[in-house]
Amino acid sequence: MSNTTTSRSEPFNIGGITLRSALVHLVMYGAAFLFVVPYIYMISTSFMTQQDAVAQGMNWIPDPVTLGSYIQLFTGSQIIQWSINTLIISSLTTLLVLLVDSMIAFALTRLEWPGQRYLLALIIASFMVPGFVNIIPLYLVVSDLGLLNSYLAVILPFAAGPLGVFLLAQFFRDIPYELQEAAQLDGFSNFRIYTRMILPLSKSILTALALFIFVWSWNQFLWPLIVLQSEAAYTLPIGVVVLQDNFTYQPALTMASAVVASGPLFILFLLLQEQLMTAVEMQGVT
Amino acid sequence: MSVTDRFGGVVGKLSSDSRSRREFVEGVLFSLPYLALFGVFLLYPLVMGGYMSLFEWNALAPAESVFLGLENYTTLLNDSQFWNALGNTFYFALLTVPSIVVVGLGLALGVNRDIRGQGFLRAIFFSPYILTVSVAALVWIDMYSTQYGVINYYLGAVMSNPPQWLQSRLFAMPAIAMTTVWWLVGFSFVILLSARQSVPEYLYEAAKLDGAGTWRQFRDVTVPQMRGAIFFVIVINLIWAFQVYGQPYIMTSGGPNQTTETLVMYLYQAAFNQRNFGYAAAIGYVLTGILVAVSIANYYFLGGDNE
Repeated sequence: MSNTTTSRSEPFNIGGITLRSALVHLVMYGAAFLFVVPYIYMISTSFMTQQDAVAQGMNWIPDPVTLGSYIQLFTGSQIIQWSINTLIISSLTTLLVLLVDSMIAFALTRLEWPGQRYLLALIIASFMVPGFVNIIPLYLVVSDLGLLNSYLAVILPFAAGPLGVFLLAQFFRDIPYELQEAAQLDGFSNFRIYTRMILPLSKSILTALALFIFVWSWNQFLWPLIVLQSEAAYTLPIGVVVLQDNFTYQPALTMASAVVASGPLFILFLLLQEQLMTAVEMQGVT
Repeated sequence: MSVTDRFGGVVGKLSSDSRSRREFVEGVLFSLPYLALFGVFLLYPLVMGGYMSLFEWNALAPAESVFLGLENYTTLLNDSQFWNALGNTFYFALLTVPSIVVVGLGLALGVNRDIRGQGFLRAIFFSPYILTVSVAALVWIDMYSTQYGVINYYLGAVMSNPPQWLQSRLFAMPAIAMTTVWWLVGFSFVILLSARQSVPEYLYEAAKLDGAGTWRQFRDVTVPQMRGAIFFVIVINLIWAFQVYGQPYIMTSGGPNQTTETLVMYLYQAAFNQRNFGYAAAIGYVLTGILVAVSIANYYFLGGDNE
């Protein structure tokens, strides 16, 4: 409201300002509408009957609304098992990444020992080689370790990525060293400095990193597809694709599975969108 | 660059011999868990991939692998399916990366204006990025459907012969690219928006005083000020584009007539369908080479900017 009134109070610019501003609003909200069309299609189709979903013409509002596809999905597929698998894998990956990455970032920035500089350079250089480019030898390693079809097959290679180390090292080194010195004079061990000082001071970045890792590992596709070969071991992203392959064209069912696969992350996004976008921004700042 | 250089003096004053020995032990202990993962699951496969690419690799009995030297690589040079996949991957990058940068920048500049519901719009444009590739692809398969799809339903109203999208040799890759732009642009959008918001406002005031219009402000203030973020967005999207796999795998299986088969799809096929691990490792190394070249090019472009 206030925007309109201010522009109205500038009589000489009425045409210019309001027309331009109206145009900007039109374009931006038009774009936003196009962005949500796929969501509307996905959600509305998932509540349709099978016949309505493939009917000629376009009906955006399901009539009648039915939970048939969801019931069929939960009773006729292993989607509950896949959801559990995905949840466990994402949660454990997130915890592992936070733990090991914060430990090494602490050692690389807050302790003084020879070789740390080269180590940091090596880890950063590995950014250039995205983990799964060398999926063949990685597959053989995981297979030799007897990890195929297990959660660890997905978790461990993911946790080897350098992103978290890099982000945390950047953050840790900006924490004032005077604090650490004072703690050392008080007889704090380095372990206590890590747990009592550095970690609590880094809550914001740890939260952002955790969210990003969680979403990212939830959504992984190629690697789980390779190492999770039995249907009971699938994650949601793999499961929903296999499900769609197995059925003849049943859009209502496929869309219901898509809603289930993305629903938890959407809820997470609605609750914590600021932190999640902060995690993205941090990568741009580097 | 180095933390030790910057702060070594301060910490150094406190250290004695025994303390620095203890710090060394602690440093190693704190680093060990990550380094174990890094070594086993990143560094070793990287080196091993190069080694395997020199062999006709026998997965069941590695010791019996046949040494080929560079033969896998020379075979690649004459492998038309490899060149097709490489070409398709470049084509995909060409279609997606500029679009993502332009759309992302456009949305960022739009949201940055004096507009209602800024936070709402920001969330909407970012949101597809949190979907898994499977969901993005499955929804768009239905929307592209020539029989039941939304897109051709509305296009059919304005044109008599709408494209066959995923079934068409001409339109399959652009269709996959369009899905990809929708799916991934949110990441770049958020970064560009944040970069735009940190451009000092007085630069625009000064430009206006000099009589610069919207276009001149964009060209002489916005773009140079956002240069770092734009480069970052280009590079990260190039890196993603060269590794594209999920979208074509789910949406077209590489068809029609292998017009959407990408490098990673071909690598996957060589490894897990033909069981030709050495050859697949060679493809992986070519891909790694491309990605390293992209990163190095970026480093040189940006190098002058950081100093």
